[in-house]
Amino acid sequence: MSTHRKRSVSSFLLTSVTWLIVLLTIFPILWMVFTSLHSNDQILNGITTFSLPKPQWVNYINMWDTVNFAVYFRNSLLICGATTLLAGTFAVLAGYALARFDFPGSKLFSMSIISTQLIPGIMFLFPIYLMFLWIKNTFGLPMINTYWGMILVYTAFYTPISIWIMRSFFVSIPRDLEESATIDGCTKFQAFYKIILPLSLPGIIATGIFIFLTAWDELLFAWVLTTSSDVQTIPVGIRLFVGQYNTRYDLLMAASTVVTVPVMVIFFMTQKYFISGMTAGAVKG
Amino acid sequence: MGLHTEKNLPVKAAASKRAVWRKRVRDNKFAYMLMVPTIIFMLLVHLLPMIQGFWMSFLKLNQFTLGKYLKAPFVGIDNYVGLLFNSDNPVRQGLNFAIRNTAIYAVIVTIGVMVMGLMMAMLLNRDFPGRSIARTAMLLPWVVPSYVVGVLWGFMWQQNGIINYFLVDVLHLYAEKPFWLLGPNTIWAIIIPTIWRGWPFLMVIFLAGLQTIPEDIYEAATIDGAGKFRQFWNMTLPMLKPVIAVQLLFQIINNVYSYNIVSTMFGNGAGYPGEWGDLLMTALTRQSFGYWSFGSGSAASIMLMFAMLMIVGVWYRAFRTELNTQ
Repeated sequence: MSTHRKRSVSSFLLTSVTWLIVLLTIFPILWMVFTSLHSNDQILNGITTFSLPKPQWVNYINMWDTVNFAVYFRNSLLICGATTLLAGTFAVLAGYALARFDFPGSKLFSMSIISTQLIPGIMFLFPIYLMFLWIKNTFGLPMINTYWGMILVYTAFYTPISIWIMRSFFVSIPRDLEESATIDGCTKFQAFYKIILPLSLPGIIATGIFIFLTAWDELLFAWVLTTSSDVQTIPVGIRLFVGQYNTRYDLLMAASTVVTVPVMVIFFMTQKYFISGMTAGAVKG
Repeated sequence: MGLHTEKNLPVKAAASKRAVWRKRVRDNKFAYMLMVPTIIFMLLVHLLPMIQGFWMSFLKLNQFTLGKYLKAPFVGIDNYVGLLFNSDNPVRQGLNFAIRNTAIYAVIVTIGVMVMGLMMAMLLNRDFPGRSIARTAMLLPWVVPSYVVGVLWGFMWQQNGIINYFLVDVLHLYAEKPFWLLGPNTIWAIIIPTIWRGWPFLMVIFLAGLQTIPEDIYEAATIDGAGKFRQFWNMTLPMLKPVIAVQLLFQIINNVYSYNIVSTMFGNGAGYPGEWGDLLMTALTRQSFGYWSFGSGSAASIMLMFAMLMIVGVWYRAFRTELNTQ
């Protein structure tokens, strides 16, 4: 009886601690939304009450025309969407090749995929910047300030790690499936296309979300490789709310909320696949 | 006769080895086809820029030579020497602070996310009311883009911000409101948000790892009289070691190369985060672009890469057995 009570007391304590941590963890996000509903004067004076008699929904309207935020939003969606499609396709193909075939050079290739992660982004930054200048000067093909320039760079950067995630996902699918399919008269490509691809859909979705979230987050290259607001992405555009003399915290927080919401929605719609896909690779190695 | 065959054997072996290799290439035509797009991309956007970056580190590249950078003057190892010994070199300015801060930041953040992630994974692995809601809520910070994390926390750390309100007005931990974005406190102002955003991911990974450990070994250990701590230390941790090894490597890489949070917290990259807030990546980017010294910038990033290779070497030695038994 007494051990039972002791256990339930400790269990109650642990549960309370867990919930306390959860609340503390999500507090900054709630605070962002709460702040975005204040006027800039209120924010600059410091908000110290948790009641909100007059929510300033107008911030969510003003943020779109103060800095033409819709353009940045569209650019981010376009660049990240195209990157996800391209890098995801390459990752599926190469990941399958690495998981199933022991071809000459596969070891070297796996090693080079891992080693790309060790190179600091800044080491690519100058050469790619100069390479883009060179292409423009030599072939007359603009690369800086173009969608395809950004998509090219992002696709190349997120392909290696995505190959790694896809590879561990394909490894977890039994080989017998393709073998019996080839015995039934399928070619290797048909076995891959008809049997393995549908089965690996959760992994493909997980990899796709991973690529999208990473691209949505990228700042350094977006900042250097774009100078015109026609192609600049959200992380570059959002800083326009920070002025030299006057920072519009109300609009900044509204914009921050607006750029966080789509990724949250995408993430929570696909969370089930994402977690199973990410952990399949991470836990089994 | 015997002599004859002995003489021919190595030749034959080499020929057959080549034939086997050729056959393996032919048999794997499909695999090569699948790899083609990736190989093209990696040659163009990884290998080529890398060679170029290496070459650039030996050139004098500034605003005057940039236009025809292929013909820029070759200066040998001058860029490296300048970075190491010449205190007038603009890229070198403040690099000592950046190296120190990056070391502190990377170590504390890496340990922080791993320990907190594991602790939370163990708390959430229990059965309690609202467990699935708590798990989902815990993931929220990880979905917040890192530039938003920088903006948001930079706002919360302000002197009349919400954090000081809690610390001073509610908890009375300080007599007056401290500055967080100035002076030695800055390092905490960048470490805490990074841990905040990073640990949910580790929690997910560890939670999945914990669920692969069979329940009955804990029951057996309890019957044998092993306490909770012994069970954690002797069973849970060793079982998670391969997962920990892989995540540790990715955390080290991520945190040494961290850029977004610091750059958006302090004036969006243009500003100087101060001698306690500047990291290697923010310092190198700001200085190289600010002074148009791409040669020195390349040399610095190559040295950084070699330092990273050494760290990975140490990591590999430490976890060799776990990685090979998988």
